Amino acid sequence: MNAIVVLALILFVLMFAIGGKKGIRSFIALFLNFIVVIVLLFFMNVPSLNPIVVTLIACIVISWINLFFINKINKKTQTAFVASIISTLVLVGVITFISQFALIQGFGEEETEELGAYSLYVGVDFMKIAISVIIMSTIGAITDAAIAISSPMQEMYSHQPTIDRKALFRFGMSIGRDIIGTSMNTLFFAFIGSYLALLIWFKDLHYSFGDIVNSKIFSGEVITICCSGLGVVLVIPITSWITAYYFTRKKVQ
Amino acid sequence: MMINRKRMMWFSLLGVLCVSSLYFVFHNHALYEQTIGEVTSVTTLNQENTIDQYENEDTLYTQQLTLTLKNGAHQGQEVIAENGYSTSQANDYELKKGTELFVTMKEAKDGTQSATIDGVKRDKYLAIIIWMLLLMLIVVSKKQGVFAIVTLCTNAFILSYALDLYIANEQASLLFICSICILIFTIFSLLVVNGVNKKTAAAIIATLIGTAVSLAITFLVLKLTNEQGLYYEELQFLTRPYKTVFFAGLFLGALGAVMDVAITISSSLVTLYEEHPTISIKALTQSGLEIGKDIMGTMTNILFFAYISGSIPILILYFKNAGAFGYTLSINLSLEIVRALAGGIGIVVTIPVALYVTILFILKSKKVVK
Repeated sequence: MNAIVVLALILFVLMFAIGGKKGIRSFIALFLNFIVVIVLLFFMNVPSLNPIVVTLIACIVISWINLFFINKINKKTQTAFVASIISTLVLVGVITFISQFALIQGFGEEETEELGAYSLYVGVDFMKIAISVIIMSTIGAITDAAIAISSPMQEMYSHQPTIDRKALFRFGMSIGRDIIGTSMNTLFFAFIGSYLALLIWFKDLHYSFGDIVNSKIFSGEVITICCSGLGVVLVIPITSWITAYYFTRKKVQ
Repeated sequence: MMINRKRMMWFSLLGVLCVSSLYFVFHNHALYEQTIGEVTSVTTLNQENTIDQYENEDTLYTQQLTLTLKNGAHQGQEVIAENGYSTSQANDYELKKGTELFVTMKEAKDGTQSATIDGVKRDKYLAIIIWMLLLMLIVVSKKQGVFAIVTLCTNAFILSYALDLYIANEQASLLFICSICILIFTIFSLLVVNGVNKKTAAAIIATLIGTAVSLAITFLVLKLTNEQGLYYEELQFLTRPYKTVFFAGLFLGALGAVMDVAITISSSLVTLYEEHPTISIKALTQSGLEIGKDIMGTMTNILFFAYISGSIPILILYFKNAGAFGYTLSINLSLEIVRALAGGIGIVVTIPVALYVTILFILKSKKVVK
């Protein structure tokens, strides 16, 4: 039997055993997200389409799946959805700015050796793809942080409907502050896990500190980690503000 | 007033640090042994359309650059260099005015100097993005932001040191070193984020058990299926046993997510118990499970996207080189999918583990009170 299929089955059984119906929905969401990534790849292969625009559309679909499919459509998921999209857009700006200067697109010289047999002049803009990759690695964490903030804010509002906008916003920010450490930790270890081989390799090659810092692969990794962290940080005030605005909007009118 | 003054002091200290470190990376040319040149003018010499054997169209450009040398014996001199790039920029880049490059100097027989480009000086951009993250973190989350930074940096240093140990000792086992690291990371990160209390203790124990159980499951599955469907090609650049490295990565990758789940469940249960000391164990279990259901979907998605996204460029390159769909996915994605699934299993397993460990801690403290 294929190891991946067996692991997927085990994950499915565990999710069902512990999460019941919601567990099944979570598993299906994971599968749907995989399909979104595959479809995204097909569109990225078309040179006439802008990969960043295609990625943003994919992010909307992914946020839709993560928020509305797993949690159903309601006020808290709606505000989380809007906040995720806005944070992603802001993040695109930051990433575009930094990657234009840092030139981290494509493959490092350490990787191209392996790719000798392949044609590298394929007409797809790898600069834009590099930007897309960073957005995609963060989208899961952004939607997670958004729902983690908007959901207790809704709880708070239903317990205390007279709460004013400022107080509700502050409550959202305090929730955000509580989750920031663990969210960054989650991303940090995930990236370390996938880059471990490269880190060991850099050490094996006895690169100097300057060589490592300026190499395309390492600086690409650091920029990815920092931009993901920035995404998780940005989503806190954005979600808090949108949710606070949305819930207290009637009273102002 | 006092608090404001203290805060002002911290902010000005931060400001000074930020400005001086940025000034440093923008002016550190003398510290590099390699020659550095800044692009001062660019002219495109020629461009040429190409079509490869898979009918991908691209355009190749040649640029002539004038560089001003920033360090070394020829500092201040101008030299000429050439740079070739393609529209796709897969392993080349279009250079613009202002970019700083590492170059090697060449002297022709007639004594004219020219330079060949070795790479881009990227350190200053790393400094900019790191400061952007730090400042945003501190503005948005203040003390917790600082804690998060301290934890991440410490963990990074510990890992780097551990890898040095592994490289230096031929007979050292990477898995053993990583186990020790995981122990340190877990205890340290959770202590810094949550302080010394019941919640932290329960979360630490739950994280360690959750990680161990999920690893045991993954290991067993891989052994029993003979690792069918796994392709280690993407790790074969390593001169070390790459399966071990893959396993160590599996270990570390899910750790953050597992910690996140453990601390979320243990701290909400303890808080719930402290607010309602008469709450029944059954009700506690129930709300713990509810929280678990809420987080497992989004948590598995975080890992999924963090792992899979990095493979997008290579997947596109394979597809553009007429790589067959199934082959391309297996070669480039099988390890990432295993990582994501193993991490997912870790997340889900940790939910009941954290639940029971926390309840055990609560029961124990109940007895002590009685």
